[in-house]
Amino acid sequence: MTDAKIDEIGHAAVDLSLLSGVTYADCRVVHVTEEDVRVRDGAAEALSRSESLGMGLRVLVNGAWGFASTAEVTLEAAATLRERAIEIARASGRLAGERVELAPVEPARGTYRTKIEKDPFDIPLKEKLQYITHLDSLLREVPDLNRTSAGMSFRREIRHFYSSEGSRIHQEIFQSGAGITAGLGRGHGESAERSFPTSGGQYEAVGYELIEKLKLEDAIEQLTEEAKALLTAQPCPAKTTTVILSGDMVSLQVHESIGHPLELDRVYGSERNFSGTSFATPDQLGKLKYAADIVTVYSDPTAEGGLGSFGYDDEGVPAARSPLIEKGVLVGYLTSRETAARIGTTSNGSMRARSWAYLPLIRMTNTMLQPGTKTLEQMIAETDEGIYIQTPSSWSIDDRRENFQLGGEIGWLIKNGKLTEMVKNPTYSGNTVGFWNSCDAIGTPEEYRIWGTPSCGKGQPGQTIATGQGAAPARFANVKIGR
Amino acid sequence: MIEKEVTLQRLKDAVSDPGTKQIELVYIETRTALSRFAENVIHQNIEQADHRVMARVSLGDRVGLAVGNNIEPEPIKATIENATEIAENQDPDPDFPGFVKSTTGADVVGAYFDTTAEFSAVSRAMAIKSAADACKKERLSAAGLYKTETKASAVVNSRGTTQFFAETLAEFSLTASDDSTSASGWAIAYNRDVNKLDLLRLVRTAVGKGVLSRNPETYPAGEYTVILEPAAVGQLLLFLGFLGFSGKSFAGSRGFMAGKIGEKITGSEITITEDPFTGEMAGMPFDYEGVPKKRVVLIENGIARAVVFDRRYAKKAGTESTGHALPPDNAYGPYPKNMTLQPGSVPFENLVSSTEEGILITHFWYLNFLNPRRVQVTGTTRDSTFLIKNGKIDRPIKNMRATPAILEAFTKVEGIAKERVLYPQYTSVMFVPGMKLAGFPLSEDTDEG
Repeated sequence: MTDAKIDEIGHAAVDLSLLSGVTYADCRVVHVTEEDVRVRDGAAEALSRSESLGMGLRVLVNGAWGFASTAEVTLEAAATLRERAIEIARASGRLAGERVELAPVEPARGTYRTKIEKDPFDIPLKEKLQYITHLDSLLREVPDLNRTSAGMSFRREIRHFYSSEGSRIHQEIFQSGAGITAGLGRGHGESAERSFPTSGGQYEAVGYELIEKLKLEDAIEQLTEEAKALLTAQPCPAKTTTVILSGDMVSLQVHESIGHPLELDRVYGSERNFSGTSFATPDQLGKLKYAADIVTVYSDPTAEGGLGSFGYDDEGVPAARSPLIEKGVLVGYLTSRETAARIGTTSNGSMRARSWAYLPLIRMTNTMLQPGTKTLEQMIAETDEGIYIQTPSSWSIDDRRENFQLGGEIGWLIKNGKLTEMVKNPTYSGNTVGFWNSCDAIGTPEEYRIWGTPSCGKGQPGQTIATGQGAAPARFANVKIGR
Repeated sequence: MIEKEVTLQRLKDAVSDPGTKQIELVYIETRTALSRFAENVIHQNIEQADHRVMARVSLGDRVGLAVGNNIEPEPIKATIENATEIAENQDPDPDFPGFVKSTTGADVVGAYFDTTAEFSAVSRAMAIKSAADACKKERLSAAGLYKTETKASAVVNSRGTTQFFAETLAEFSLTASDDSTSASGWAIAYNRDVNKLDLLRLVRTAVGKGVLSRNPETYPAGEYTVILEPAAVGQLLLFLGFLGFSGKSFAGSRGFMAGKIGEKITGSEITITEDPFTGEMAGMPFDYEGVPKKRVVLIENGIARAVVFDRRYAKKAGTESTGHALPPDNAYGPYPKNMTLQPGSVPFENLVSSTEEGILITHFWYLNFLNPRRVQVTGTTRDSTFLIKNGKIDRPIKNMRATPAILEAFTKVEGIAKERVLYPQYTSVMFVPGMKLAGFPLSEDTDEG
């Protein structure tokens, strides 16, 4: 279908000229293409390509929302969709609170395309499969390794956005990722796994060049040695000590205990019955000492390569960097036009939908913990006693995002400034504010990286979405470890 | 909306002339209508409709998969061509079992209800308003979900298999809460027929718990006797499914069932059966390979009996598929989506009244693997946790972190209720009773600052 035809359908869907009571409409026509190539234990686990095209329409009628979506993209379907969405919005009106007000946004007419060097969908499937099979066979050549996996996946979203306020936006967004796992098991109760670059692989908003840059094969030797050593390593001791986290562990910590609690729809209770609420209520904005002075965090959908990067969010708000925590103090939220209006500000462009079928919700984009001044090496050298934990393997946080328990694939005890014996299943737990206030060192810009989370879940129906977290290694004092 | 004959004809036409290849088409059509509410207001009200056509093409033992979302003949053909191209590039797969030959499924009565399929946004709004009014009377705030879903699934292949199943489901959940006193009560109801949801009872339960849970106190860490409500039991069962009941984890010797068949792995009170045909479950009678589903006893009186298989892992294990393949675009392998736990003989109320000191848990939140080798998970209690003393609710306590090793926990069964409820979680529906367990590990998960 041509862009001109899609424009015609999109504009028709949001034309309110003959509709009374309808004050706002936006329509998204989205075409998603995905490829997944994955080999596990020497056999193909996935080799697939999927396509999905459809449109979703959101309307405000007398200050209440309605949304409907369909896989049909035609003028007739747009007319039907509009009737359905309006009917649903009128039903919402039976149990509406104050009229929904939207913070203003300048109608945008723009385009955006992820910067890529190599379009992943131009690379023949055969080449991708050969590379993944090659990685898998390298893994399986290692004696004792019997639980292996290698995979890569790619996503392209062509998004068209139209609003009754006059926005017309075209975007083409690419996401790429890959990773390997080396594991071994000896029947019951004894197994160990190590992943590279992190558990589930590293994902970025880039092209196929990422796969070449990751050099996955170079990691196999070290992964293998660590997995073998883990098999006989001691369990993590239970005590309170200094914890140093690798960059990917910090990424998970930022995601779970800073990103999620600062989604303003969650703060206002929209996820109370499902994903939960947040301790970080608006009365604490500008006051809550969320973290230590060295902690500054911002949301940045403009960050190059970040998995949560785009040109405009799914309300047509241009991507921009906005502060969340400045020198440890809570200064901002992730917002939509509706929630931004409630706190008297404008949206920072955090509304995102999984695809055309879903209603946009407030989601993380790239949540960036500003790097510090100490290298990982310095952090370890300064620590008399503690633990260094690498690569996320387990995470759980309560429904107010206050108390968490996270675990890594591997840990090393630190004694007198040196890494000593390896421990398996290292876990740590804490209270969000207490933990972040105990942060006394953050890694340098050289150790900084935007880690990708390709499947962050939220909402009902469940929507997975891709987010990024900028993080370097970091150190925290007086943390409970073990279980 | 579900046009069985038209849909099946298009799918059959598309596989009618396979040439040298074999073709399998899986069709899933879903229409979800859903209202979410919070602060006594509907904040999300949607209707989303989609359909997917998943084509698997085999060229001997080379197999490709492609997915599209257009049911017109030409796009289906294009999806098949895509799958063919992928198969051509694929390495031979010695474990590929081929597509199943000429199966048809038994008709399931009670899976599709017009009442659910035709339920309107206005009807949802009216029920939500009543629930919100009941909450407001007790100075509680209502949040929740009212969902109806209509779904059609079909499997057609070039070896003569034709399967079709239409179903509806309805789900209502309510959280009655008050932030100023940290009160939170929750309840859920599920049925295929929206008219069978007992919303009066649901509202009474959620509001009642909300009222009782005001001003919870911290309780120390320890190993306690716990009474798990059915939702909490279902959540633990779901993880047993992930960690051991799948033929994939069995074949890879990763799961807790591997090497344990015939051995005792839980207390003898525990019998878990994958049974899509129990009562009002009315589960899909075939899987996404078109294989008729079998009832499978997974654990019987504490003894590991069997796991569920799809065709691939059945071939690897030298057995037959039990009809538990998931759609071909996922890598989980077979999964038991309709687990049931055998009930006990006492009313749920007796589990509480017979407890001298214990903790009543409504459900868990954010359960995740902690130590898969021990079948251990971590998560927190949620929406009302009560201290039980001398057979009665003594007082509400703050949510605690639970870190049970599930099989070990199931060796300390002190009672199972005789009442069971249908409990939906993700795409599974389980039929579960409440249960009482001794020595259940709970730790403080409160404001340590």
